[in-house]
Amino acid sequence: MKKIIVLSLLILFASCSTDTNNSKYLRWVGDSVYTLEIDTTEFKLCNSESSVRQYFHFNKGLQYKGEKEGLRTEFKQEYTAVDTDQSGWIRIRFIVNCEGNTGRFRIIESDMDYQEQVFDERIINQILKITQSLDGWKVQSMRDKPTDYYQYLIFKIIKGDIIEIMP
Amino acid sequence: MKICTQLFLILVIFRINAQPNCEAFKYYGDTLKYEACKEAEKRSGHYQFSRKYQEALDDALAIDSTFAFAYRAKSTAYLKSGDFITWKKLIDKAVQYDPEGQLYYRASCRYQFFRDYKGAIEDIKHLDSLVKYDIGYSQNGDYHLNIIMALSYRAIGKPMESLKIFEQTLQDSSYSVGIYDYLHLGVLNFEMGNYAKAIETLKKQEIENDIAENRYYIALAYRKLGNTKECIYNLDLAKKKYLMESRMFDPYVEKMDQIFLIDIENEIETTYNNR
Repeated sequence: MKKIIVLSLLILFASCSTDTNNSKYLRWVGDSVYTLEIDTTEFKLCNSESSVRQYFHFNKGLQYKGEKEGLRTEFKQEYTAVDTDQSGWIRIRFIVNCEGNTGRFRIIESDMDYQEQVFDERIINQILKITQSLDGWKVQSMRDKPTDYYQYLIFKIIKGDIIEIMP
Repeated sequence: MKICTQLFLILVIFRINAQPNCEAFKYYGDTLKYEACKEAEKRSGHYQFSRKYQEALDDALAIDSTFAFAYRAKSTAYLKSGDFITWKKLIDKAVQYDPEGQLYYRASCRYQFFRDYKGAIEDIKHLDSLVKYDIGYSQNGDYHLNIIMALSYRAIGKPMESLKIFEQTLQDSSYSVGIYDYLHLGVLNFEMGNYAKAIETLKKQEIENDIAENRYYIALAYRKLGNTKECIYNLDLAKKKYLMESRMFDPYVEKMDQIFLIDIENEIETTYNNR
């Protein structure tokens, strides 16, 4: 009997593993797996990988000290427009953990036609550095339990300047 | 009776923002789309970000690579995670195979999530050129597409075109006024320097949906006209409403003309300092 249970568990595990390995998808669209080469070891999730939520799951919108205006002020104060003809969108996505700390920053960049493009380093480095320095993210909870969540910021760039910040 | 049935099925196929009725494809003899549609139903019960949800739609597209609904359903998770590159590739496919049924979605998402005003205008104009019926509402139901076009024109610095669309839309007796229509028109009037008109319009918003934003902008218009008493009254009311969460809200993004507590408090301070 014991052998049958062990065998069944092995088959179940194997089938689950196969299912996951064969899929091109992770748990959820947009999940950021910890990557040694780019992610700091200082940033830790408070709960499991499978418990990380999306910012809108809390139905409160963006939660930052001083609300969206507080966030905008940080970029107004810190970002210096770059003299270039480049325009488009930059998204930086990251995780806010249960202590309000951030990590696993991921960047995508496009032109105004949503085609991938690499922005001038002077733009991208500034935006990444400011985003990484933001310290006003609010802790969000689900059933009274502080929860890790994905947040993103999208910057609409026109000729090297930040015109709008979303969401 | 047959005409009624056909009309009903057409409406069901193109029903906004919903899973198509697979039986309608069968009725019209489109077996491939019927099978793809049934395959897509397997995503039911799975979260739209999840592997199972995406895989069910991939399987549907493997059956019929022209099934527009599956592309749009796949695109939503990318939209909500801010991945505009993948989202655009998917939603472009949906529009390619079903422009009449999918342009409303691409247009309103371009406006709502990416502040892509020119793109939204292009899509709405394109949709309007394709259909003879009412072009309808945004995917979240907050705005008629005409209003999104008006807001987009305003955002790209064409207030007169914006005003024209607002007035034409709101004068149409068959039009149901949206929950923020008069607010945005009031702000447009304010920005154009028509303060009395802004007050008149924002008072209409009070009747439709009295929130912190219309009280805030009406206060600014009163101040421009030198009426400090009404300005203070409305700013105080705006703050109360804001704190009671009677204000613009979208769980995904900041809305156009949305205000925050600091905006109200700054204006209260300015008004008291200038008395």
